Amino acid sequence: MSSKNEVGTRAKTIIERTYRARIEDVWALWTTKEGFESWWGPEGFRVEVHAIEPRVGGALRYDMIADSPETVAALKKLGRPPSHATHSRFSELKLGERLVLTSVIDFLPGVEAYEAEIAVDLSVAGDTVRMVVTLDALHSDEFTNMQKEGFTSQLTKLDKRFG
Amino acid sequence: MDAFQALADPTRRRIVETLRHGEQQVADVVAKAGVHQSGVSRHLRILHGAGFVSVRPDGPRRLYSLRPQPFRELDAWLANYRELWEARLARFGAALEKNQETRRVKQRSRRR
Repeated sequence: MSSKNEVGTRAKTIIERTYRARIEDVWALWTTKEGFESWWGPEGFRVEVHAIEPRVGGALRYDMIADSPETVAALKKLGRPPSHATHSRFSELKLGERLVLTSVIDFLPGVEAYEAEIAVDLSVAGDTVRMVVTLDALHSDEFTNMQKEGFTSQLTKLDKRFG
Repeated sequence: MDAFQALADPTRRRIVETLRHGEQQVADVVAKAGVHQSGVSRHLRILHGAGFVSVRPDGPRRLYSLRPQPFRELDAWLANYRELWEARLARFGAALEKNQETRRVKQRSRRR
């Protein structure tokens, strides 16, 4: 893998949430089959977890399955199957504090395989849990490079210019 | 080639950046973008094919400029990605709430 594809050198998207909840419950949603399947989605899809091993190097394997007629039809139109197998691993894990899920993105035609990371940091404050999710902008390294170069604001500028 | 692949190449991003300043002929693109003459036609052809660039003749010259549509689409795609995660974490919150409620119900029934 070339250096430009190394994880860690890329721009990130950060989303924060605070929940009135127990840390164990927040943790379980990321690290158990039942928990993960209950929310991952995305909309129009359900997830079937085949392996979830919350330890450093442990696997997370799941199928994303289209579960609405609209999604199935949309995928068919794009020539894509209604189910997609996803292979990730817990590349970092500190019980109840931090986990990093790393996926190999090797299914994009014309794009060299690269790793995408989702990092989750948890901290307890009183009876709330703060969760910070740090994402590599999908779907590609080059896309993130665009963001890094301020491309998103450029897009808006261009829009104004041409609008 | 889709929009992402078209912009995957740093040289092509430099060409796009150069064309942001307005319509230009190939020689100017070569000079301003620091692109090698031998590759510029191919890159412009790819950008044209992906809809980023339009071209019109002006006497013996060909003038290249940017088209807004694919940028709008990329912008929308970015917004979608953010929205996907917003929706995902809304479901995360709902799942958490549901689990807490289940626990409260269990604890209440145990106390009885």
